[in-house]
Amino acid sequence: MSILNYFIRFRSLSVFSVFLLLCIVFTLFSPQHRFMSKENIEVFLALGAEFNIMALAVGMLMICGEFDLSVGSILVFCSFIFLKLFDTGMNVFLAIFATLSIGALIGLLNGVITTKAGIPSFITTLGGMLFWRGLTLLLSKGLQKPLDTSQYPLFNKIFTGTFGGVVPVQFLWFLSIALVLGSLIQFHKFGNWVFTTGDNKQAAKAMGINTDMTKMACFATLGLICSFVAIMQLVRVGTFTSRAGDGWELRAIAASVVGGTALSGGIGSMAGIFWGALTISIIENGLVVMRIPYYWTFVIFGVVIVSSVIISFVMEQKRVTMGGERY
Amino acid sequence: MDSSKLEAGRNDTSPGKRDEDYLVEMVDIHKWFGKVYALRGVNFEVREKEIIGLVGDNGAGKSTLIKILSGFHPADRGEIYFTGKKVHIHNPKDAKKLGIETVYQEQALAPHVSISRNIFMGREPTTHLGFLNKKVMDRESLDTLSKIGLVLTNPETPVEALSGGQRQGVAIARVLYFEAKLVILDEPTIALSVKESRQVMEFIKQLRAEGISVVFITHNIYHVYQIAERFVILAHGEKIGDIKKEDTSVDHLSEIITNGRVA
Repeated sequence: MSILNYFIRFRSLSVFSVFLLLCIVFTLFSPQHRFMSKENIEVFLALGAEFNIMALAVGMLMICGEFDLSVGSILVFCSFIFLKLFDTGMNVFLAIFATLSIGALIGLLNGVITTKAGIPSFITTLGGMLFWRGLTLLLSKGLQKPLDTSQYPLFNKIFTGTFGGVVPVQFLWFLSIALVLGSLIQFHKFGNWVFTTGDNKQAAKAMGINTDMTKMACFATLGLICSFVAIMQLVRVGTFTSRAGDGWELRAIAASVVGGTALSGGIGSMAGIFWGALTISIIENGLVVMRIPYYWTFVIFGVVIVSSVIISFVMEQKRVTMGGERY
Repeated sequence: MDSSKLEAGRNDTSPGKRDEDYLVEMVDIHKWFGKVYALRGVNFEVREKEIIGLVGDNGAGKSTLIKILSGFHPADRGEIYFTGKKVHIHNPKDAKKLGIETVYQEQALAPHVSISRNIFMGREPTTHLGFLNKKVMDRESLDTLSKIGLVLTNPETPVEALSGGQRQGVAIARVLYFEAKLVILDEPTIALSVKESRQVMEFIKQLRAEGISVVFITHNIYHVYQIAERFVILAHGEKIGDIKKEDTSVDHLSEIITNGRVA
């Protein structure tokens, strides 16, 4: 197999190459090569992980053939819920459990509305996006509120610590959640239901797969992940702000698409989404380190998204004639 | 209301049980869609290891009859017997349990998903905790495909890379693997080239060789004439003909279909 064929076959490899290329460019062109400094790598692994974790679950939902525009709003709402529960003096682990449950329920609600009412998830979650952020603004009056968790060292360690004093724990969360979702999607029968439901819902249904249940499970998982990231971010920042998660919905979709996920569902891989998420967050990080004005990130995102979809399209055409699964 | 009378009448004519020569026997099937009287008391039998051509013009009731048998619609009146026993088919699952499988051409497969994942869609073999047993999936896929005479080497090829005939082969192999007793093929050769159609008809012959009965629904009399042993002709919701192959010809069949009655 020629090298080119290898790249076509293992789609995630080409996403990884883009990621690597960006790393090299940023290292070469950042002042004093600051991009590769220990501080920046740590910041990137810790901060970036929050968005990356969410992108993984967004990607899984997209393979199942649905969108979620409400992820940023679920995040900020859960962030507020956790703050309120924490302030009541409730046991912190109970508060985590309650927040995660609420996140999963909101996700499930998106799924129930989408499948039972039979409306596009684009609409359901557009409504959800406005509703949950609106509700958060209403309840919080748009104010910032501090959260002091210093009396719970174990809790802090779980969400913001480092492993062996070097690797940020957030990155380990990202890695393990990617592994769990990846093995579910690629090697578990549930994954087969997700792919076939996203690819041809009628066929999946005819073969006895509960396509509505499969979609709802993906929505609920995403809601759960959103609330998890909400807590993680809140603990790191130490302040609740009603702008948390703003704009993440489109960036998460972009990450999945850059990672080779088809907008129409049925195509994608967890490895691709993994590198796609890292690519999106490295662009943001790199431009900051290079001191390029923030607004450029949007310009670059635009170029990266469109070109990667074109590359995906071309590769998909070639790959079809070669056979083999996507990794 | 009428069903009790019907039941009694049936017991009078055939006390005890039904003819066990039949794999499937549909008796006096009626179906209305609102004001449309789609099936008007159709009797339809399938013997074991038999290929039947179910033919008729558009709107004749072929699909409706088959959808009742495969559990997509309930019949408004009538009875279904399977190997001589009365059965109630409320949904596709009931039909599958009996071994009645339907292959719809477009709806059958997920194009971007691999052959083996398609064959085991919804009925995946697993090792533990629900993880896929890929070894079994890949091996059994190729084995089953070769049973119907389709030799493929890579079970991980996405279905969309296959020809139209090969795709039908994958859909047919799937029902073979899950031990269907009766396979219903709804227009399996529509939109296929001559060569691909021939391939699909070879698959159907192999199904019969495996001891499976086949109902072949089609507009194309030339295709079905080559392999069916008996033809059931519907028109306007009624059965107008039930003819053995040796008693008819392609011309004769088309005449019946065009005239809507046996000449």
